[in-house]
Amino acid sequence: MVQRAGQKRKVVEVPVPAPEQIDEELGYGAVDGALDDEGDSEEDLSDDGSDEELEIDGEDDSEAELDSDEIPSSEDDEDIRQQMRELKTSNGDNDIASQELTRSDIARKVSAASARMPLSALEDDADDVPNYTVMTDANGDPRYVYGEIDAAYDSDDSDAPAGANTIGDIPLSYYDAYPHIGYDINGRRIQRPAKGEALDSLLDSIDIPKGWTGLTDPATGKPLKLSREDLEVLKKLTRHETPGDGYDPYPDMVEYFTGKGMEEVMPISAAPEPKRRFIPSMHEHKRVMKIVKAIKEGRIKPYRAPTEEDREREEAEADFASYDVWANEQPRADHVMNVPAPKLPPPGYEESYHPPPEYLPDKHEQQEWEEQDEEDRTRDFMPRDHTALRKVPGYEQFIKEKFERCLDLYLAPRVRRSKLNIDPESLLPKLPDPAELKPFPTTCATVCRGHEGRVRSIAVDPSGWYIASGGDDGTVRVWDFKTGRQLWRIKLSASEPVNVVSWRPGQDARVLTACCGETVYFIVPQSDGFYTPEAEAASREVLDSGFGYAASNGSKTVAGQDKPSSSSWARPSAALQERGVLLTLTLRSTPKTLSWHRRGDYLSTVSPTTAATSTAIAIHTLSKHQTQHPFKRLKGLAQTACFHPSKPLFFVATRQRVRMYDLQQQKMEKELMPGARWISDISLHPLGSNLLIASYDKRLLWHDLDLGTTPYKTLRYHSKAIRAVEFHPSLPLFADASDDGSLQIFHGKVVGDSLENATVVPLKVLRGHRVVRELGVLDVKWHPREAWAVSAGADGSIRVWM
Amino acid sequence: MATAQVPGDRLAQVRIHLKTRSPDIELPQDTGPILVSTELKRYQLSTLVNRLLDTEKPIPLEFLVNGQFLRTSIDEFLTQNGISAETTLSVEYVKALIPPLYVASYEHDDWVSSVDVLSASSKAGQWAGARYDSSAQRILSGSYDGLLRVWNMSSEVVATGQGHTASVKAAKVLSPTQVVSSGFDRTLRLWKYEDSEAAGAASLTPTLELYGHKASIDNIAVHAPSSRILSASSDHTVGIWSSKKAEGPAAPENLLPTANKRRKLSNTKTLPQRGPLNILEGHQSQVSDVCFDGRDATVAYSSSWDHSVKTWDLTTGACVDTRTTAQSLFSICHLPEASLLATGTSARHITLIDPRASATTVSAMTLRGHTNAVVSLATDPASSYQLVSGSHDGTCKIWDIRSVRNDAGTERVGDSVYTIERDSAKGKPKAVGGEGVKVFGVAWDREVGVVSGGEDKRVQINKSSPP
Repeated sequence: MVQRAGQKRKVVEVPVPAPEQIDEELGYGAVDGALDDEGDSEEDLSDDGSDEELEIDGEDDSEAELDSDEIPSSEDDEDIRQQMRELKTSNGDNDIASQELTRSDIARKVSAASARMPLSALEDDADDVPNYTVMTDANGDPRYVYGEIDAAYDSDDSDAPAGANTIGDIPLSYYDAYPHIGYDINGRRIQRPAKGEALDSLLDSIDIPKGWTGLTDPATGKPLKLSREDLEVLKKLTRHETPGDGYDPYPDMVEYFTGKGMEEVMPISAAPEPKRRFIPSMHEHKRVMKIVKAIKEGRIKPYRAPTEEDREREEAEADFASYDVWANEQPRADHVMNVPAPKLPPPGYEESYHPPPEYLPDKHEQQEWEEQDEEDRTRDFMPRDHTALRKVPGYEQFIKEKFERCLDLYLAPRVRRSKLNIDPESLLPKLPDPAELKPFPTTCATVCRGHEGRVRSIAVDPSGWYIASGGDDGTVRVWDFKTGRQLWRIKLSASEPVNVVSWRPGQDARVLTACCGETVYFIVPQSDGFYTPEAEAASREVLDSGFGYAASNGSKTVAGQDKPSSSSWARPSAALQERGVLLTLTLRSTPKTLSWHRRGDYLSTVSPTTAATSTAIAIHTLSKHQTQHPFKRLKGLAQTACFHPSKPLFFVATRQRVRMYDLQQQKMEKELMPGARWISDISLHPLGSNLLIASYDKRLLWHDLDLGTTPYKTLRYHSKAIRAVEFHPSLPLFADASDDGSLQIFHGKVVGDSLENATVVPLKVLRGHRVVRELGVLDVKWHPREAWAVSAGADGSIRVWM
Repeated sequence: MATAQVPGDRLAQVRIHLKTRSPDIELPQDTGPILVSTELKRYQLSTLVNRLLDTEKPIPLEFLVNGQFLRTSIDEFLTQNGISAETTLSVEYVKALIPPLYVASYEHDDWVSSVDVLSASSKAGQWAGARYDSSAQRILSGSYDGLLRVWNMSSEVVATGQGHTASVKAAKVLSPTQVVSSGFDRTLRLWKYEDSEAAGAASLTPTLELYGHKASIDNIAVHAPSSRILSASSDHTVGIWSSKKAEGPAAPENLLPTANKRRKLSNTKTLPQRGPLNILEGHQSQVSDVCFDGRDATVAYSSSWDHSVKTWDLTTGACVDTRTTAQSLFSICHLPEASLLATGTSARHITLIDPRASATTVSAMTLRGHTNAVVSLATDPASSYQLVSGSHDGTCKIWDIRSVRNDAGTERVGDSVYTIERDSAKGKPKAVGGEGVKVFGVAWDREVGVVSGGEDKRVQINKSSPP
């Protein structure tokens, strides 16, 4: 019957009380048993009530009761029924009914009968029938007796175990102090299984029941029993084996998406796009128009007009909208990503609205504060005195500060950079202070003007009294060094510029050489007081001696070899001779640079032409009026050449290389590769071990001849091509001249000891020359003894820098 | 200072101790410290001292406190220099130098290299003494066109001296009747001057040619009582010459102009030619300037481009002492009262050198302010503490060596009192490198004032007009 009921309706299962339970709750024992019976009768009732649904409340009451006649009843069934009807009709006042019942002499029977009443039947009949019965307790007060809860009644889980412990996840140890171990679904205590005494456990250990494991089921506290099969499964699981025979560890793959007949059909079709895709949807249009119409008529309001209240709230929200990132700041461990809230100093007296007078600024301080740049101010406010707090005006910097705060947050770096604690100054090489390297030229002392057009070349006389210059106007001029007065001038050519001027080295005789066109002029300027009589005589002697040699020996060597001379030494015209031009040397091509040997007998000219590379470099002997071309074939276009100050070495600069030749052994000693694209000028240090190379690609290269073929230092300070470079003959200085109109003065100290490197310190940039047609300063020379430089500019001026 | 700042106390006072180095304006008796108000300025102090001196005519005075001229009130001065008002200030008073105002410019055909003044108070006038009674003042100028000119005070050329074959570099008045000049043509020339007031009426006739230098003679110094002339030449030597024809030895033959050489100016009249009494060798480079010792005419000082100042004993011709500085020296003058030599340098300042053997340091003091080489120096005839310098930067500056401050701890530095700009450069932008405005020569005379000549082809006269 129970099973049948379970099929039809919800299973009505009444927990079978444990035998121990019965002992304890004897008072309920009879009732339980009665209820059991009632349950049965209820089942009957529901069974035959197949037309139950048709039955309407109220009408069937009597019938239902009649149906339950099967229940064994006492003699005064009729009375009870009557009573029950009353009870049922007067649902609300159970108390009264029960009181009435208690008063009646048959109260006892009623209570027994009502206890026997099938509660579920009542429930079936009416939902509002209470699930309890009222009884009288020992004191005579009403006592509610609730019916049994069917644990599985409302649940879909039909497997809910009967008599399960409902204490949930609470460990059983919590109940250690109690005789029970939890509650069942009806709230009744589940008694702790009897723990056997020592003898019992001994007995248990002797004859082990079947399936005994020695474990206790944590859910129930009862001994856990496992069948052989269970053990087998567990054993296999622990060994990582298949749990059972039926288990297939490698089942066949079920092809859900691939395989035959499952091929993906691509949703591409060649069907033309239907027309409806291109026309606006009429239906949609209709709906939109409906809404538009409604809006027009005012039935739909697109937005609700903000009420006064809304506006106020919004404003309030806007006012108090704050995004304090540190509002809920918890103390955190130091970490790079944790930016702690800045600690503000406590406000001082000067921040008070009514500060003590000594904190108030006086007029001077206030003015000073106002004149200061905002960033320089030590504090960003000025203490002000207000007599009362209510007179304090609004903070005028408020918006600005908020804005700046937002800006700070916006611009704040998200990543904290690790800073290197290196003083940038310490990374710079230790250079001496320019002030310690005095003297060096710093200002323009004299400007010599007179040349028309560019001044191409200048030279300072070995005594340091005069400056010779040659320029585009074809003139050679001589200037007084100290005053800048023009002392002498000669026009050598009307059309050709004077490319080079140079003084013959040596104090005894002073000869000025000037290259104009293809001719080299040897000049002894004729001017009163220009020369001491001896010097003039010596100078003439130097120039005339060659004629004597040429007359006596020259014919033999030159004519004997029958060599067409590439150069001709001659006396110029009488007019020129009177002015002081005593000798001319005409070459085949235009010499662009000229340099003297230190003894003043040899001079070299360089004519950078591609036509005749063999005659590009010539070494002339003044005393013999001879010209030699030491290079039959020269690699590259010769630019400039110079003699070594003490050794028989000769330096030739082509466009990209500088070669050092030994004149005695007639072989190349060294080839320097400065890395410049086009060398403009070279200058050899007076000690002869260091060479400066200026290039048109803005670089100045310092070569230590002892070190190697690559530059020891590259100086890149000019913004345009460097035209000239010159070592000071006695002081540790050198200067270069650039097309950017500036000269740069460097300290370049060379130590005789080869262990120590040369120190190069930039000292001074001298500006003053005007840049004319992309040309700035064309030449620079030094005074022979003093730290005074002379420069020739494209603007036609010569400047003396002291 | 503290007392001076207490408001309401208008009568903040400071103790001053007045003193002077000029004996003519010394106080009758030492007054000791005087309590004066800090509100006083130069004028009030000057009145006070004049009252103490009890002069009929007030003498304008300047006041030096700690080497600086008092230009503000004492109070401000104390505040600026951070001096406590409770100390006793040592105040030195000096006769005020009235700012030299521009008087006139005498235009030349070429650059003016050298100027000198002939007046009763000038050195030449003083040496002449009673023999020179003319009250007229003459200005001698040497020009790069090779001419000497004598000007009267109404900007007329009284006489022109023609004889130099190249630029005149130096010209000096030896006596009211004698003028000496030197130049680029390596000669010194003596001229006889006959004075006359009218323009062109006076005459300047050459009397003697002195040969002996091998290069340009850049400067000369004269001493009439001993009739000695000193010359500084580019050939690294100093020449000693006599202005007397009889004293001079014969001119060295090799230095005489050769007969075959064409001369620009063919002198028909041959002049007597003499050689040097002595040629002092020792400098390593060009000698730029030479001067006599202010007290002892047998001692001379020469400055050279080789950075050194040499002291010469003229009687023996020996170099007594050499003081080497760090720069090329372009000019020299002797301040006898202070026993100092002022030298103008290429490094744009004036170095004061103590030539005495006892002096431990080379540079006693540096006067800074010029922006180009200082090429000419002259002392104040009225004061032994003041000097004027002419520089290639186109200015003349007047210095007072009493006005000194300590710069960078050890160096004693002075600033100029007045600056005289070139009148020709007025209104023009400042010339770079002194182009067109360089001053080559400067002279200071009590009567005429500061006379300077330069690249602007003018002789400019500035005079401190009496108040």
